[in-house]
Amino acid sequence: MRPLETNGLSKYYGEVRGIEDLTFSVETGEVFGFLGPNGAGKTTTIRTLMGFQSPTAGTATVLGADITDTAALRGARANVGYLPSEPGFNENVTGRRLLEYHGSLRGDVRSDEMLELFDPPLERKVREYSRGNKQMLAIVLAFMHDPDLLVMDEPTSGLDPLKQERLLEFIRAEQQRGKTFFFSSHILSEVRKVCDRVGIIRDGHLIELEDVESLLDRSGKMVRARVNDALDGSAFDLDGVHDIEVSDGGDGSTDGTTISFTYTGAYEPLLRRLLAYDLHDLSIEEAPLEDIFMRFYGENPAAQAERIEDGFDGRDGADATDETDGKDGTEEDSETADV
Amino acid sequence: MFETTRFESEQLLPASAVIAVSLAAFGGLMTMAAPGILGDVDVEALSEQLPAAIVEAFDLRAMGTIEGFIGLELYQFVWLIGLGAYLAYSAAGAISGDIEDGRLDTVLAAPISRRRLLFERFLALLTPILVINAVVFGAVYGASAVVNEPIALADLAAVHVFSIPYFLACGAFGTFVSVAAPRRLMAEGIGAGAIVGGFLLQTLVSGTDVSWLGALAPMRYYDPLTILTTGEYDLAGAGILLAATVGFLLAGAVYFGEVDVQ
Repeated sequence: MRPLETNGLSKYYGEVRGIEDLTFSVETGEVFGFLGPNGAGKTTTIRTLMGFQSPTAGTATVLGADITDTAALRGARANVGYLPSEPGFNENVTGRRLLEYHGSLRGDVRSDEMLELFDPPLERKVREYSRGNKQMLAIVLAFMHDPDLLVMDEPTSGLDPLKQERLLEFIRAEQQRGKTFFFSSHILSEVRKVCDRVGIIRDGHLIELEDVESLLDRSGKMVRARVNDALDGSAFDLDGVHDIEVSDGGDGSTDGTTISFTYTGAYEPLLRRLLAYDLHDLSIEEAPLEDIFMRFYGENPAAQAERIEDGFDGRDGADATDETDGKDGTEEDSETADV
Repeated sequence: MFETTRFESEQLLPASAVIAVSLAAFGGLMTMAAPGILGDVDVEALSEQLPAAIVEAFDLRAMGTIEGFIGLELYQFVWLIGLGAYLAYSAAGAISGDIEDGRLDTVLAAPISRRRLLFERFLALLTPILVINAVVFGAVYGASAVVNEPIALADLAAVHVFSIPYFLACGAFGTFVSVAAPRRLMAEGIGAGAIVGGFLLQTLVSGTDVSWLGALAPMRYYDPLTILTTGEYDLAGAGILLAATVGFLLAGAVYFGEVDVQ
């Protein structure tokens, strides 16, 4: 029995499509990332799986329980931890009272242990909680009964970077204990860190289902080179070169030309070609998951290209090195202005 | 068992205490003032000056005794309509409010059935019902003893005991609306509005050809003024109110069990 399995799962709100024909399964002990932009249907899927709303068509099982069998699903939920995207609580009570109440509903075997990792101010009323504190409380509630399956809707949202890292570490440790995770996210770095497999959802449809590793392999490398010669894109018409971009600084300065592209071919032909130029700087790195992700997101080629550029910008911002800074900085500005 | 009832009862306790103390103060003062007012005002003469329909509608003739006076001043309006509407309002905002604030997901993620949740939240209404009843009963009886015009203990107790099925019916109606109405505000409006509307309906149709319409109003089945002034108890009415309570809860449970929470 797989902890989570869907078959043609669809949910319409009247005429409006929430999700359509989702078929996937999550294996025991797996961390499955459910990716998609806002409004793609992630929360709809999760809330349907939890039994908060009935599917329009298709079937799904959670820990073997059919989600349309209310009693069976209720039994299964005893062994499911759920973290909503925007945890809502009765805010007139202290965190401790809420913990006690929810513990009485689902059982409490490890809240003390959880509170050492995630420590919302339990003696304060929940109305005084920050978003991060609410999230931590929700995390404690999701794990307190030591469930086998964790269903989490954007689990790191609202947490500070330290706590985000702590949660991801905790997820990895729990996975070692045989727990299964199904979590939605649009933050790729976290997916990259913990997920074994991802499903990408767009406009309610599952458009990709793959190992994170093969997704990255297939997406190739990001190559960025700066040469002291003038060149144009056609100089790199090798097999496996995609999304080529050339910039010469615009003012004919001595900085030469920067060329960047995604590359899925072998190293040797690429290096040979590069060495034909007076190579000033070269970086070859794994394509950021963002770029791959954006490719799946784009509704049309134009929007896709724009988004990939945005993706580059984002990555540049994060990985910026001193050598490439100055000129790229101005480019980024102008691109941003264009968009 | 009954964790939700306990939790929600705690939430209702502060408001219950405030209402209980306010109503007790009001009822107590009215009771203590009754002998003086009744000595000064000739209710019979006053009744003759007013239009017959008004006298009829508000049972003004009953006002001449302390039981009638307190029945009219406290029980027939503030208690029957005010508190009834409050309970329906409070119940109506319960689940609808949980849904609107996203609180319900956190609770429904636990292995609890919706039916049970609905029932337990309804049961929590017993906290205001019982607390307010006990405090107001004590205050009114105490006050009547203080001014040496004790109200018949059994009758006063009956007013309070028979109010329980009435308030439960108001709360059950509110609970049903809470899951059936699309939004919290609407649910609360329907909940409280139905009680006030029921009273108006009963008043308007009484003595007309369509007086049977008054059967829809819950106050047809619980009449504190009659209990206080004549000592007659409407057992059948209490039965009807309890049956309505069960009916609304069942309907609410069935509806809530099917509907999408969003």
